[in-house]
Amino acid sequence: MIRLTQIRKSFGRNEVLKGIDLTVRKGEVVAILGPSGSGKTTLLRCINYLERPSDGEIEIGELRVKCKHPSKQEIHRLRGKSAMVFQQYNLFKHKTAAENVMEGLVVVQKVPKEEARKRSVELLEKVGLGAKLDAYPSQLSGGQQQRVGIARALALNPEVILFDEPTSALDPELVGEVLAVIRKIAKEGITMIIVTHEMNFAQEVANRVVFMDQGAVVEEGAPNELFRSPKEERTRQFLQRMTPEAVYSI
Amino acid sequence: MGTSFDISYVFDYFVKLLPYIRITLTIVGCSLLIGLGIGLLVALPRMYRIPVLQRFSQVYVSFFRGTPILIQLFLFYYGMPEMLKLIHIDVTKVPALYFVIFAYALHTGAFLSESIRGAVGAVDRGQVEAAYAVGMTGYQAFGRIVLPQALGIAIPVFANLVIAVLKDTSLAFSLGIMELTGKSQTLPTMSQHFFEAYLSLALIYFIISIALEKLFFAVERRLLRYEGDRDRDGRAASGRKWLNRRFSGRLELQKEGARP
Amino acid sequence: MKLDPAFIWTAFIELLSAIPTTLEIAGVSVLCGILIGTAVALVRIYRVPVLHPIASAYVTFIRGTPMLTHLLLILFGLPMLIDAVAESLGIPFRSVSIPMIGFVYISFSITEGAYMSEVVRSGMLAVNRGQIEAAYAVGMTTPQALRRIVFPQAFAAALPNLSNSAIGMLHATTLAFAASVVDINAKAQIVAATNWKFFEAYLAAALLFWGLTFLIERLTALLEKRINSYNRGGVA
Repeated sequence: MIRLTQIRKSFGRNEVLKGIDLTVRKGEVVAILGPSGSGKTTLLRCINYLERPSDGEIEIGELRVKCKHPSKQEIHRLRGKSAMVFQQYNLFKHKTAAENVMEGLVVVQKVPKEEARKRSVELLEKVGLGAKLDAYPSQLSGGQQQRVGIARALALNPEVILFDEPTSALDPELVGEVLAVIRKIAKEGITMIIVTHEMNFAQEVANRVVFMDQGAVVEEGAPNELFRSPKEERTRQFLQRMTPEAVYSI
Repeated sequence: MGTSFDISYVFDYFVKLLPYIRITLTIVGCSLLIGLGIGLLVALPRMYRIPVLQRFSQVYVSFFRGTPILIQLFLFYYGMPEMLKLIHIDVTKVPALYFVIFAYALHTGAFLSESIRGAVGAVDRGQVEAAYAVGMTGYQAFGRIVLPQALGIAIPVFANLVIAVLKDTSLAFSLGIMELTGKSQTLPTMSQHFFEAYLSLALIYFIISIALEKLFFAVERRLLRYEGDRDRDGRAASGRKWLNRRFSGRLELQKEGARP
Repeated sequence: MKLDPAFIWTAFIELLSAIPTTLEIAGVSVLCGILIGTAVALVRIYRVPVLHPIASAYVTFIRGTPMLTHLLLILFGLPMLIDAVAESLGIPFRSVSIPMIGFVYISFSITEGAYMSEVVRSGMLAVNRGQIEAAYAVGMTTPQALRRIVFPQAFAAALPNLSNSAIGMLHATTLAFAASVVDINAKAQIVAATNWKFFEAYLAAALLFWGLTFLIERLTALLEKRINSYNRGGVA
């Protein structure tokens, strides 16, 4: 289980997260929606400390970290319990697809090389890239790179996978293949938090949807409820702006 | 100067100069090795913004890039013994070669620290984030992800620096070091065929430069093989980008070394 | 022998008299270098037959050899050539009547030309291909397009390298001592030798060069700011 308590984050005098509470149960898929600048990506990046929260508490499994003065070890352990899929993929440029997936296993989890390689091959086959094991990121399309990114996250067997707008940088025709992979692993009961702009996808794949605006959670609930009958005016406006296009684009 | 051009002297001097390549390359090698250490040491405070030290390395880099290497050579040759005398170390018997190497090392270190900073800065920020996200520590991320990529980026600049140092060593003769240039000036005192001597001197430098350039190019191709295939696919844009990168790498020479 | 701080100041004042010579050498070489460099860059970019391989060989050779060797080759080779030609033509002119600084100008310009050609070339390659196409599209000829569209933009792109190259040249003027020209470096040697205070004299010279370098850097920064304010225009 992941529990965020009163997470705050300021850039200078600008408060981008105004005390967020969020609980994600084991195996749950939570989608975070919201207009750009609402703080959803910042919140996600706070969970693995790529962004340093100013205040609050993060709990993943049995690890609890007070955000004010975390030790290096705490940050390190927090990162060890999560994995992230980036908007810009961020595959290690100087390593092949298989090596990218192995890297965390070998370096962080000290898995022997042969075993890591085996695992890596399995996962790449699972995301449909069994033929691209030894390709470098520069030789892969955006969609393929992002699938490697997902395999890399899966390899770590983390408590939670954080998806930061995984399809935003992709050409429209490549979005489908990535969403298909996420959909597939969502069914396997892996805990996921997904920041996304794909409304239909969020509705279909998430157990729960969280709507954020201006650094605060405005509303959360089951996808069907939230999409059909949002309680808050701000949510309704946002969905009206987003859906007409999104509905027909997939 | 009284004598007419005679090609046979060019060959003669060429052969006679060859053994002195060793001293030239010794100066180049030693100053690069020491310079690399200094450069890294000096780059770190600026990359990690360590208060006071950052200021020191800034002044150091500015001074050694802002003054001619020839002046620096004299400064060390005359200044070091006196400075060391103040702390009661007598170096009057230490050969000049050591001072020369030390001066070149400090000079090179200043330029190297800038290239190191540049190359590390050129590695995409997302690479570090991804390393952290898979659970690496800061050292692991630096050693396994940033450094290997920075090395590939830095190679063209480093190659230019090495060649610049090679060319700079031609000034060591002014402190009486018998390297290539120094020897080329004493060889023709009998025959007075100075021009021929300098021609063979230039040829030797040229051959070493070209060899070094080829060597580094091969190393770069190897280190950056992960970037390779797109260029070969004939994508005009990235081909051009690659070309420009080669260029801007070469251009660093202007910045990265005095030309003597 | 003790360090004499007061002498650093004395030396500094004496060195000031050598600044004009140093700046003259640097200025002439950079200007000639830009002219040669632009010509060479154009020859290489447009792949002018016959001239193109010669230009490439020139750049490669100059950049692969120390500047000192260029100076020595000119100092010892050019008089030989001039005298031989003059003799065979029966002209009474002899190379001895050329002042030494003339050889320095020639040699340094040749060196600087090769380095500048790379600066100019990369500046021109940095200009977007679409710019010159747009110039053709409004009916400009190639020289017009180069002069009015490419060069101004290339200059902006090349400015940092241009400045670095000028600083490199400034530092390289210290080689002029090999031609018995009294620049800052040679002057320092004279001042030092007459007083036996080498360290102080060279420290003064170093400070002087440091200051001049700083000046060039500041001027470049100012110029860059000006140019960029044109470039940025009103957008974002």
